Amino acid sequence: MNFNPVAASVFVALFLLVTGLGFAAARWRKADLNKLDEWGLGGRRFGTVVTWFLLGGDLYTAYTFIAVPALVYGAGAVGFFAVPYTVMIFPILYLIFPKFWAIAKERGHITAADYVRDRFDSRLLALAVAVTGIVATMPYIALQLVGMEVVIGALGFPSGDIIGHLPLIIAFVILAAFTYTSGLRAPALIAVVKDILIFVTIFAAIVIIPVKLGGYGAIFAAVPPEKLTLKPPSGDTLGSYSAYATLALGSALALFLYPHAMTGIMSASSGKVIRRNAAALSAYSFVLGLIALLGYMAIAAGVENNPAYEAGFVQYGATFAVPALFLDSFQSWFVGVAFAAIAIGALVPAAIMSIACANLFTRNLYKEYMQPDCTDADEARVAKIVSLVVKVGAVVFVLAIPKAYAIQLQLLGGIWIIQLLPPIILGLFTRSFNARALLLGWVAGMAIGTYMAASQGFISSIYPFEIFGLSIPGYAALYSVVVNFLVAAALSPVFNRPSERGRASSAQ
Amino acid sequence: MADKTRKGGFARYWPRFLLIIPFLLVVWVPFYNRVEPTLADIPFFYWYQLAAILIGAAVAIIVYRLEMRIEGANSEDPTDADSSGTPGDIL
Repeated sequence: MNFNPVAASVFVALFLLVTGLGFAAARWRKADLNKLDEWGLGGRRFGTVVTWFLLGGDLYTAYTFIAVPALVYGAGAVGFFAVPYTVMIFPILYLIFPKFWAIAKERGHITAADYVRDRFDSRLLALAVAVTGIVATMPYIALQLVGMEVVIGALGFPSGDIIGHLPLIIAFVILAAFTYTSGLRAPALIAVVKDILIFVTIFAAIVIIPVKLGGYGAIFAAVPPEKLTLKPPSGDTLGSYSAYATLALGSALALFLYPHAMTGIMSASSGKVIRRNAAALSAYSFVLGLIALLGYMAIAAGVENNPAYEAGFVQYGATFAVPALFLDSFQSWFVGVAFAAIAIGALVPAAIMSIACANLFTRNLYKEYMQPDCTDADEARVAKIVSLVVKVGAVVFVLAIPKAYAIQLQLLGGIWIIQLLPPIILGLFTRSFNARALLLGWVAGMAIGTYMAASQGFISSIYPFEIFGLSIPGYAALYSVVVNFLVAAALSPVFNRPSERGRASSAQ
Repeated sequence: MADKTRKGGFARYWPRFLLIIPFLLVVWVPFYNRVEPTLADIPFFYWYQLAAILIGAAVAIIVYRLEMRIEGANSEDPTDADSSGTPGDIL
């Protein structure tokens, strides 16, 4: 890959701009950042617009922007499951999370595990929630780095050796520094810049690239017909249909259980803000759908057969499709804008994820098990340090461990995080579930989900569930959380002692 | 808490049933797994699902509006369950 000085300069300039914003954010809506709910939740004061940017930057990450079109590019229609997935998240957000927000606000919860601890009075269940959250999020942070690495490589910075990793390391040191000083305010402010860049890039892409390629008809004509739609299942299997639908539903159910999504929700200033965003976030979903189509544009543009991008595809595989398409279609300066959008799109979620992990560690491990009498200032101090540790861990992870492991772990992360659905969601609407039953359900769900992924060699999360001779391939996360729910529902009446049952009925 | 639930119930929360619509649009994959009819040369599979996003957003807006109207009508109960009581809902 040739070094592209114009694109690289624009890229670096935009990166410096958001670095400045990141540090300046400490003075935005000034408050005592030595309190955890100020540092880690922005004081719960973000209104509809800021929450829209924050959640948008949080949920539609750099990895999404690289991986979704890469999947469409490589596998075709199945990669489009991201679209029904985002269709399903709005009702879930609307129905469930304003209530969660209200309880968290009233009781001063900063993490989902705080809520579970308070709601079920169970330290063990809260510990399970906290540890699951941290473990599922770590590979997600690492994947943001992967997204960033691809665009840095595409700009033509030397790569491969330790010097080649320097741009990535510098970017993460900057990220770590402004997260440390400004907390959640930094990604909230940077998300605004990131989104403007993303929207500009994508609208340019969907206008300029089709014109160059001869219109959408020509683009879809270039795609092999067997990739354009899902392969209709035959015989005794539901094949691609059940896989597609369960992937979308399972991913939608899992999304808001991730600690970074929870953090975004809890930092809103009211439940109304969340309800409004259930509609407003669809703008991002629509853009995501368009981004998915970039995969087909890359096929139509024939970037893979272009010798200029051969090295990139060798090094990064299908994830290089979108960067190659942009290099092929845009002028150098705009390539810089587009790549900056992706790289900054990695900073925002990485910052929120590390803050969310830091909140969980501080509240639910440090305060709960190590230093119960710590002060507010201690809490904030520990969280800031943990956010640094988390990011160092992510960098080491990406540089020292083969990329395939990060992807496999993220796949497992989705299966693990959905196991928090019964303790977090059910508790909002009914008092009939028992903490020990929920904990056993969690154990069963984790075990079965992990087993299902292992049976597929950790390369696919689609498990072929067999019943009455019919094979129903589906997302392992969805299957395993059903087991989790059934165990919790079956055992709750057994564990609920009469006194608790009396309390439960009076509370209904 | 319990009191609040009873006062709300169906009369207050019925619009939320509309939120099933976005799920129904996308849950039955065989319905949209086809190329024809195309729209502006875009196969059905793609434009249908993109349209589902817009419909989903419209449904969420409608539900929100309906709920606001219902909550406005119940103005003898101004303490909104999910409002912090602080200004700054927009920014």
